[in-house]
Amino acid sequence: MVDISLLALAEGAAPSAWPRRALRNAVARRGVPITLISALGLLLAWFLVTQFKLVAPLFLPSPLDVARQFYTVAVDGFSNATLAQHVGTSLFRILTAFVIATAIGVPLGLAMGLNRWVDGMFSPPIQLYWPVPPLAYLPLVIIWFGIGETAKIILLSLAMFAPIVISAQAGVRSVSQARIQAAQSLGASKAQIIRHVVLPNALPEILTGLRLGIGAGWSTLVAAELVAATKGLGFMTLSAAQFLVTDVVFVGILSIAALATIFLTVLRLLERRLTPWKGQE
Amino acid sequence: MTLIVEKASVTYTNPDTSKDALPVHALAEASLTIPRQGFVVALGASGCGKTTLLNAMAGFLRLTAGSVTVDGVPVTGPGPDRGVVFQKDTLYPWLSVLDNVAFGLKLAGFDRPKREAKARELLALVGLEGFEKSATYQLSGGMRQRVGLARALATNPEILLMDEPLGALDSLTRETMQELIVDLWASTKKSIFFITHSIEEALFLGTEVVVMSPRPGRIIQRYTLDFVHRYVAARDASAVKSDPAFIALREEIRGLIHQTGAESDGRHLLARAG
Repeated sequence: MVDISLLALAEGAAPSAWPRRALRNAVARRGVPITLISALGLLLAWFLVTQFKLVAPLFLPSPLDVARQFYTVAVDGFSNATLAQHVGTSLFRILTAFVIATAIGVPLGLAMGLNRWVDGMFSPPIQLYWPVPPLAYLPLVIIWFGIGETAKIILLSLAMFAPIVISAQAGVRSVSQARIQAAQSLGASKAQIIRHVVLPNALPEILTGLRLGIGAGWSTLVAAELVAATKGLGFMTLSAAQFLVTDVVFVGILSIAALATIFLTVLRLLERRLTPWKGQE
Repeated sequence: MTLIVEKASVTYTNPDTSKDALPVHALAEASLTIPRQGFVVALGASGCGKTTLLNAMAGFLRLTAGSVTVDGVPVTGPGPDRGVVFQKDTLYPWLSVLDNVAFGLKLAGFDRPKREAKARELLALVGLEGFEKSATYQLSGGMRQRVGLARALATNPEILLMDEPLGALDSLTRETMQELIVDLWASTKKSIFFITHSIEEALFLGTEVVVMSPRPGRIIQRYTLDFVHRYVAARDASAVKSDPAFIALREEIRGLIHQTGAESDGRHLLARAG
């Protein structure tokens, strides 16, 4: 950014105009600066509100307290586990559930898109349970699968499963008649059409489904760790809330937000890498 | 190869609408022969059944009555003996330009070196040398249609069915593409069935032009022409297109299309009222 502004100066641009232009150029190139300004603004507002004691620390601890607490939780731990252990436990649950939901969801969604019998069989239950909040069927999962690790992973899998299935199905359905006809006129068999046209055509939607699924997983984490957990970010946040340790609650929320953002970013990069044509047509 | 369409009719009845809804005669008793090395152009306004006719030849739809045969064998479905170039862009964006062109050969089981060599050759033929590794969505409309053409040629069909392939192009690109298609036709000796709604394009390209009219979709007039031979001989498109005979015929067909279009509109409205 600096280089470009200097270049503009060297070429004789009016000195008073260049910072604004450089900023505008940077904004035009990428959305990053605006996001950065927004984040810094929020942080500043938070800092000022707590600095001038407009709100009691019990309700809103200062960013500095949260940062200090972050360090303490990371080194000394909270609720008998360090931050790394809480993160590790939650990551293990989310990733296991993600693998299960993907391994079952993607093939099932594809089958539902290809075959109306499969669709007729599986669509109603999935459409029915999808809008129900996981917290509502949590008791049922616990009654059926106990209070151990299984129930937590099943709850997370269920939350991720529906968007993954529905997206894979939509991906198959989105293939245009003309693309299929083009393959047919080149001599493609039914199996070849599925393999070489329908599946690659569905890839963008499948990846979107995985992103939605991961998002649903993270937003279900606290519910999954509500009962009989001894570790995990959700558990840590809940138990901190019970003892009114608000700054640790903030540590938990921010950690979940950061991890979820990393996951979504990785998936978005994967999308850009695997399906660069998406949105280009 | 000779493709013969005999009294082909396609009628749609819409089962969802009320029972007094009229059946749609997309195509009524159209007969047509595409001889070896012929260039047959179907010309007409939208809704006159041109695409229905092409889809029947390609095997994408079933006729209500009549038949389509290739060398006497009835067409029962799509196949690589009849290459199709589509109006809409049907390239596969997940494949490179080269892989798109090689797609038909891959389906047929050719190994990579063989199919890529053939695809390179075809890309050179349509003037796209150097774009082998490009992504299809980075190409212009004209270039994409060139890729579509090369892809249809890859399986070496004797007949090419082209459904308004130049419809979405600007007029300059369009003229270049017309000349490219004529060159390909003359050098590869394919038979071509070509759909357009541009009268000038039809006259310039066709050895035979059939004029079609809507409601019901049918062939109302046939012309046997030699403008395309004159172009192949002298390679001067503007001389052919400004020839008085060319202009006179263009105006004659324009009148014909407008007249029958208005007539069938009137008949259609009367039929509804009655």
